[in-house]
Amino acid sequence: MNAWLLSASGWLRGSFLAPAMLAFLALIPIVILLYLLKLRRTEVEIPSTLLWIRSLHDMTANAPFQRLRKNLLLLLQVIVLALLATGLARPYMQAEGTAGKHLCVLLDRSASMQTLEDGGKTRMDLAKDEVGRMIDEMEGGDQMMLVDFAETSNVLCELTDDRSRLRAALRSVDLADTRTRIRDAILVAHSLKQTIPDLDIVIVGDGNVSDLNEMATRAYDLSFLRVGNATHNLGIVAFSVRAPVGGSAGDRQTFALIHNAHNEPITTTLTLTFDDEILAVDEITVPAEGDAETVFTHPDLGAGVLEAQLDYEDALAVDNVAWLALRPDTQIRSLLVSAPDSISAYMLRQVLALDSRVALSTSPPENYQLTDEYDLTIFDNYVPDEMPPGTLVFLNGVPPLDGVEVIGAIENPPIIARNTEHPLMRFNLDPSNVIISAALKLKIPADAPALLSTAGSPLIADLSRGGRQILVIGFDIADSNWPLNLSFPLFFQNLLAWVPRSALAAETSVPAGRPLTLAASADFESAEIRDPKGNSTTLALDPMRSVYFSQTERTGIYEMKVGESTLPYAVNVLDRSESAIKPAEALELGRATVEAVEGRVRRNRELWTWFLVGALMFLCFEWWIFSRRAWA
Amino acid sequence: METVTAESLLEPDFLRKLERLAIGAKRVRLGHARGERKSKRKGSSVEFADYRDYVQGDDLRHIDWNILGRLDSLYLKLFQEQEDLTVNLLIDASKSMQFGSPSKIAFARKAAAAIAYIGLVSNDRVAAETFGDGTFRLAPCSGKASTRKLLQYFAAIEASGTTDLEAACREHTILNRSKGVTVFLSDFLDEAGFEGSLKRLAQTGSEVYVIHVLAPEEIDPSVVGDLKLLDSETGAHTEISVSPSLLKRYKQNVTGFTEAIRSYCLARGMSYVLTPSDTPFERLTLEMLRQSGLFT
Repeated sequence: MNAWLLSASGWLRGSFLAPAMLAFLALIPIVILLYLLKLRRTEVEIPSTLLWIRSLHDMTANAPFQRLRKNLLLLLQVIVLALLATGLARPYMQAEGTAGKHLCVLLDRSASMQTLEDGGKTRMDLAKDEVGRMIDEMEGGDQMMLVDFAETSNVLCELTDDRSRLRAALRSVDLADTRTRIRDAILVAHSLKQTIPDLDIVIVGDGNVSDLNEMATRAYDLSFLRVGNATHNLGIVAFSVRAPVGGSAGDRQTFALIHNAHNEPITTTLTLTFDDEILAVDEITVPAEGDAETVFTHPDLGAGVLEAQLDYEDALAVDNVAWLALRPDTQIRSLLVSAPDSISAYMLRQVLALDSRVALSTSPPENYQLTDEYDLTIFDNYVPDEMPPGTLVFLNGVPPLDGVEVIGAIENPPIIARNTEHPLMRFNLDPSNVIISAALKLKIPADAPALLSTAGSPLIADLSRGGRQILVIGFDIADSNWPLNLSFPLFFQNLLAWVPRSALAAETSVPAGRPLTLAASADFESAEIRDPKGNSTTLALDPMRSVYFSQTERTGIYEMKVGESTLPYAVNVLDRSESAIKPAEALELGRATVEAVEGRVRRNRELWTWFLVGALMFLCFEWWIFSRRAWA
Repeated sequence: METVTAESLLEPDFLRKLERLAIGAKRVRLGHARGERKSKRKGSSVEFADYRDYVQGDDLRHIDWNILGRLDSLYLKLFQEQEDLTVNLLIDASKSMQFGSPSKIAFARKAAAAIAYIGLVSNDRVAAETFGDGTFRLAPCSGKASTRKLLQYFAAIEASGTTDLEAACREHTILNRSKGVTVFLSDFLDEAGFEGSLKRLAQTGSEVYVIHVLAPEEIDPSVVGDLKLLDSETGAHTEISVSPSLLKRYKQNVTGFTEAIRSYCLARGMSYVLTPSDTPFERLTLEMLRQSGLFT
């Protein structure tokens, strides 16, 4: 009995969106009761019922369903009530295909969609077949919108009923080697759903998404059409080079992490190559649905491309190889000109040491000699006669520039304004509660942006000019509590990122789909970028700030040619959610769990309108019967 | 229930009008006593009928002496025998007759009394019988002096019990062998049908006059709504939802019912008169029954 109840309640939950409304069915006995009350007949004594019975028999003979008709009104009323109550419970059925009319298809084109399935088709081929079938099944007036998503989302075709456009848009979908970010695509679709409430959103893909945790906790009304079922894959999910802790100077360790998405352990070899020369081959056994790491120790290799290659043929090839662009000479050469035992020098050394890219040299002011060896020079309470090249920071002093001078001193200047748009003020940096005991009252050119200001004077100003980055901090950090404030390390982190050379010192590996950062260059106006397929793109450089190259959807070595020098960039998948190619059973989107369906999308088609129409029809029929009996 | 007395049953003025009427038997019947009606028998009345030869033993008083003197032959003068007529009144006094406004039994009672009175005035023998809760008979009587007795009898008739017309008619025909005029007043609402009873009466050889009494409400009912109809005699109930189509069908049935009885009667030489119980008596007696040939 309990089992029956459980299954019945499960059926109710599965067939009605508001099963509580079925409680209205309890009104049916009341209607029957009312009907019985209504038929409480008046008793009349007559001489003989002979003629009446004969008349009734005649009527019955003329109407075969007379007996039914006698109770027809009750039957109709019960039917109307049952239909209304059932309609209120919002019944639905799982129907194949989409609800039609308005459909938004979100098509996954990330790296895992390159997985080769049984039959020789990739997941992308299967997905395109499904979407193509949806386009074929469109009826007159139906509209579809096509959005693809990988690292970024693109609206390929806005809502249209033009099938040829949709097919062309579908054909134009190209695979990417990137991870999967679905958030933007869903936001696009859901924003459209605000204006088109009956929009059906269908995600077509394998459900391996890396940004599910970024989804807002809300209910998402969509379907997930899963394609593919292959799991046979090994993939490199991490690859890096580092100096060994405690090892001899000059040694390097290369670390690789391999993930096995298959349900059986796989043994294979990993080959490490540097500039096409094999460095090492290591045999690894990766447990089923687990990871295995391998570490190669080798001397510092200098500049070049380090490649790790899994010697294994599996369903997804793109994650079997990873590269690192080694650029050992791309550290930020920094010079701190300061009194060695001053508090400010100590604070600056501490904050610069936090970043491993910084190669810091110090020099007392008296020993300072003009040099062009440094990318960043910080003058603490000291102003040289002549400014060196590179990025310059003046603390409690002003550079010998036209229009810049100290016009006085300010005591306890309050911070009253900050420029949140300047790159040095990124991360919502807020030093407004910093206390400064004394500051220089500065006069700067009108076009020079002040980053931090007090009444009548900037406290920090960007005086960059002529392709040279110059920053003035108009107070001694020892005269403030800024070093104790969180904004202090963040500001210097921004400062290091501001230094053009940091772009080179940055990534040895860039995830596919992320932009490459091209350092600012005052010497060259453009750079030529050659992608792994050999296609060249020329990009204009900016003397003041970094430039980004975003067409990095395919993995491999991108070469940037500036002048005569060529700099490699490594673009890799290195993403566990892509290498774990086993298709997802469900998508956890916000509060909603969207179960995967295969083959054909199944939609919950609400049926309440049919129930309402049926109820109205029966009501009209009931009225007609009643009228016919009463007035005919 | 209305109280009817012998005096109130028929008003004097109406009685006087009735006295001008007489029961008109179309066929000559053989009566029991000498009366005022021609008989098939030749007899001793003053009305000449025929001559015949004298045969030995004939009553000499009937010899036509004038012919004897003229022709010298013995002829007997025959006179038309005159005799009385028996008028049998059969009244259905089942409970169904109690309904109507005025009630069918009141109408039947009055009509029967009027016919009986005319019979008495015409020196006919009048007998009556009511079927209902038992049989209630009036022994044959004649002469105007029996008027009070007759009126008392009719005034005492009450409608009760069930109808079994055929059984009642059968009993009547067994007990009353004399041929005369039979007037049958009933609503014929008998589940067993009307044919059996009328067949019995037709077999007696009497002149049968069928007066079919129906209440106006039965001919044109004014009921509405959902009703539970109770049969006054059987107690059976029938549920109906009155609709125009049902009423139409009912009226068709009433017409069919009366026409069926009329056809049955005419086919067997019986006269049929349909009278709603609200028919004025003068119209019934002076017009309808006269037209039917009951009265002359």
